[in-house]
Amino acid sequence: MNDRPRKITLDQWDDRHAELRAAGLNEPSYGGPLGRHAAQGDVRLRKLSFDNSPAALRLWNFLLSEEDRLRDCKARGKKLVGAMKDLGTVPVMVYSLPNLAAFYPDGAWWLPCMKENRTDLLKIADSLGIDDSFCPVRAMLGAFVNQKHFPLPGLLTCSVGATCDDFSAIAQRVESLGFPILWWEIPHRRRPDGDEPVVELPGGFTAPETQVAFVRAELERIRRALADYAGEPLTDELLSAGIERANQVRSILGKLRELAYCANPCPMPALEMLIAEMLAIHFCSDHNETVAVLAELRDEVVRRVRAGIGVLADDAVRVFWVNPVADLRVMNLLEDAGGRVCGTEYLFCHALDPIPADLPPMEALARMALADPMVGSPRDRTGRIVADIRRFGAEALVVSRIPGASHCAWEAAAIGEAVRAQLDIPMIDIEVPSLADAMRPTLRTRLEALLETARTRRR
Amino acid sequence: MTAIAYASPFVPVEWIAAHGLRPLWLRPPAAGGGAEFAAARGVCPYAGAVVDAAETGIDASALVLTTICDQMRFASALIESSGRCPVFLLNVPSTWQTGEARSLYLAELCRLGRFFEKHGGKPPNGAELARVMLAYDRARSALLSAQSTLSARQFAETAAKYRGPLETASPPKPDAPPADGIPLAVLGGPLLEADYEFFDVLQRAGGRVVLDATEGGERTMPRGFDPRKIDADPLRALADAYFNAIPDAFRRPNAALYEWLGRELAARHVRGIVFRRYVWCDLWHAELQRLKRWTALPVLDLDAGADDVAAPNRMQGRFEAFLEMLA
Amino acid sequence: MICAGVDAGSRTAKVVLFDSDSLGVAAAGVVDQGIDQDAVADALFVRLIRENGIDPSQVGPVVGTGYGRKLIRFAQKTITEITCQAAGIRHSVPEARTIIDIGGQDSKYLRLNGNGSVADFAMNDRCAAGTGRFLELLAAQLGVRLDRLGEIAALSRNPAIISSMCAVFAETEIVGLLASGITTADIAAGVLASIATRVAAMSGRNLDGPIVLTGGVALVPGMEAALESILGQPVAVAPRPQITCALGAAILAWKSLNGSPTPTA
Ligand code: SF4
Ligand code: SF4
Repeated sequence: MNDRPRKITLDQWDDRHAELRAAGLNEPSYGGPLGRHAAQGDVRLRKLSFDNSPAALRLWNFLLSEEDRLRDCKARGKKLVGAMKDLGTVPVMVYSLPNLAAFYPDGAWWLPCMKENRTDLLKIADSLGIDDSFCPVRAMLGAFVNQKHFPLPGLLTCSVGATCDDFSAIAQRVESLGFPILWWEIPHRRRPDGDEPVVELPGGFTAPETQVAFVRAELERIRRALADYAGEPLTDELLSAGIERANQVRSILGKLRELAYCANPCPMPALEMLIAEMLAIHFCSDHNETVAVLAELRDEVVRRVRAGIGVLADDAVRVFWVNPVADLRVMNLLEDAGGRVCGTEYLFCHALDPIPADLPPMEALARMALADPMVGSPRDRTGRIVADIRRFGAEALVVSRIPGASHCAWEAAAIGEAVRAQLDIPMIDIEVPSLADAMRPTLRTRLEALLETARTRRR
Repeated sequence: MTAIAYASPFVPVEWIAAHGLRPLWLRPPAAGGGAEFAAARGVCPYAGAVVDAAETGIDASALVLTTICDQMRFASALIESSGRCPVFLLNVPSTWQTGEARSLYLAELCRLGRFFEKHGGKPPNGAELARVMLAYDRARSALLSAQSTLSARQFAETAAKYRGPLETASPPKPDAPPADGIPLAVLGGPLLEADYEFFDVLQRAGGRVVLDATEGGERTMPRGFDPRKIDADPLRALADAYFNAIPDAFRRPNAALYEWLGRELAARHVRGIVFRRYVWCDLWHAELQRLKRWTALPVLDLDAGADDVAAPNRMQGRFEAFLEMLA
Repeated sequence: MICAGVDAGSRTAKVVLFDSDSLGVAAAGVVDQGIDQDAVADALFVRLIRENGIDPSQVGPVVGTGYGRKLIRFAQKTITEITCQAAGIRHSVPEARTIIDIGGQDSKYLRLNGNGSVADFAMNDRCAAGTGRFLELLAAQLGVRLDRLGEIAALSRNPAIISSMCAVFAETEIVGLLASGITTADIAAGVLASIATRVAAMSGRNLDGPIVLTGGVALVPGMEAALESILGQPVAVAPRPQITCALGAAILAWKSLNGSPTPTA
């Protein structure tokens, strides 16, 4: 069996899976050949290429079995919380209570891609007036209506305020269809005025103390609702333990990012790294397993780095990537064109920072929620992007626009301006629809041109 | 007198005036001036027009915007970074049910007051604020009671004037719409100055707007101040009248918008609703099909783009078809 | 008595002469639009009267409709294409409850009451996507004649996904699809599906049947099948779809004679 790190197709994975099994691969209950997910409807997998490690296999199987896990949770009497527009705050609270499990209905974002539009999710969204002028997260509305993708949670929370209009509008539509939502407010993070007490937030931002107190009060409402729902108090002790577990995930991811984005050759493809990063915000409905999955992936990366082996050529151009792609295949495309991802801002980089463990838990969570780069001025997010580009030593920048997303119409110019002014690296912005096959040649040309420009600058 | 421009009904005009400043309700002339915005897919033409207006120069020392949508938040950051005009971004919570949200809005008004002071405003004492509030209240009540004698455009323009300094806002000469026009409501977000033409086109096509529920219209006028509250704490009374009572699409949940609308539509025997929204305004756009299912009245969707001034026929055709349908 | 309907559309002018005795179409014609819309329509009107041996003194009221309706000076009355389309379809397909009208420059959806009057409508006249213009552009790019698009699309096994909302970007997508070796049949099917999706989204997909497809694009074979597959309901093509709107105008002209309340604009 060839264990050299490389990217392989779905069919190749299925062959490899058989070989690994024969060689004694031990798999968790959700393990198995990846091809079965494609057979069950995730047909996009057939067009992707994957890392060939057993760790990556486990990661994919973990991700793709979430629907089953949720149904199983419900069947076993666990209470489900749908944490909408939540980038890593409410799930931490939910997983602090043993009989609750959280999931992320927004994850339906990727369903049109994974199912190559062979679902009625977008049709349902259209019929409810949420057409393609909205972000692909509109698929979530369809998922609430057809109830084929996740079981209905007993409690739905949604953050609003300084969040995106697309989500706020769609969530309101969800509620108007009879799914009650517990709204909580995340205010626009502003700079403290001269005489105001200032609080340092994770990620290097600051906020006025009053705003942190406000968010803390909002989270207290969530805490009460969770406790009522669970039928047991959500104590500070439970929360502190929950934060510790969340930090465990963040710390593994921190290490993973450091290695995957800095080591040469690139030890782990961009696509697997994207999936891994997403686990920080929702734990894929199983916190403990998330830790195990990520630890295995980290160990594989450590092994590869020590051995000086990787999945891409040594001279791959180091690219910083902003915003998640609606079509996962585009992450493969960057690598096919000769690039590699070195640093990301997938709209939730604050969820990768450790939650302060030396503070009372609600205060720590409030600070973390307010550290979301998207809730502040675009200048804050741009600042963080510039800092991370420097940190990871990226040579080029891709800002990936999400069709219909209200923030995308404005932000590319702002990010571009800051990057031009402070870094002098080439940049492109591209729009990636849920199925970008038709755009592939154009996207490839643009990516190749970016990479060529970056290479020219090396000389 | 120093002018302060503002572009959201959640900025109380009384608060600006009570600081001895001249309120300027910003109505950008037209969308699409900035080619960059017109070309960029996804930018709300209104938010783009506010940026354009600020870039071209507003006749005011500062501009106050609010956080009610992310397009405005981005617009505010862009104006601020260009350095053309000081901007104050007032945080208006989307949720409204909690004491914390109300307190946040009140605290934001206080912060806004401090901003005014930096721009030459004088903090008002309670009596002065109460006086200004009551003056605006009277003006608005007079306008509302004269509504049936005014054409829709006159009403909209007078309402806009009453969002400026009262001294210069004289009551309009009645120019009643034809009594046999079909009673309509207009619901939606903000209007650019050029868009006011749309009231005339609607009236010419045979409609009579009996409820202007656009952002500049009746929907966002505070419903009278509680005299007891004014005596006790005028700023809190002001905050309550704006924050607790203005129904809007962006509020979460926004059921109050439908409750208010239900009452007003019935009271005025409205026969059709013109739903006016900007393309790319998700907050209003998402309400369209919900409104259609909620009401038994016919709803005309009027999606306005950046190029509408150049295409008045489109609007006219839709109005005529809608009114033919209602005839 | 002959009553006339003139539909001054953006791409073509249509005239229908309606015989109020037989309650049928006495004559109908379509010509390409020109700069002087009134002259174009007038010439067609006069030609139809002459060619069909109609006594000019028998010609009664004329109703103008379509985008250029205000320019038709010989029309005594103008009525929008929404109302006229409903009247025309009511005459030719009385049981219709939903009309999808895809024209050269715009597309519309109309929901009808049981009595054939308009209960709701929506239109896309903002962008070319979802219109005949889009179809023409993309067919040209594929090197396929418009009237063969449906036939070619029928050979598709795996319709391509055209995700762009904008005709200009959709052209780029087609270049991309062709470059990646996707078959013309799959692209053609993708193009038809894209228009159908756009139109379906505009209607909110809340469509009561029977659904009738009309307007110039209804003549493109395969369009109704694409709509059927997107909407999941049968869609029938209106008889003589290009002229249903002018026919409605002529019928409304006749009804105005009888004193039936006809909307005026
Ligand atoms: S991708 Fe952007 S627009 Fe879509 S839900 Fe996320 S933040 Fe909102
Ligand atoms: S119209 Fe909508 S998107 Fe535009 S500024 Fe107003 S609320 Fe925001």
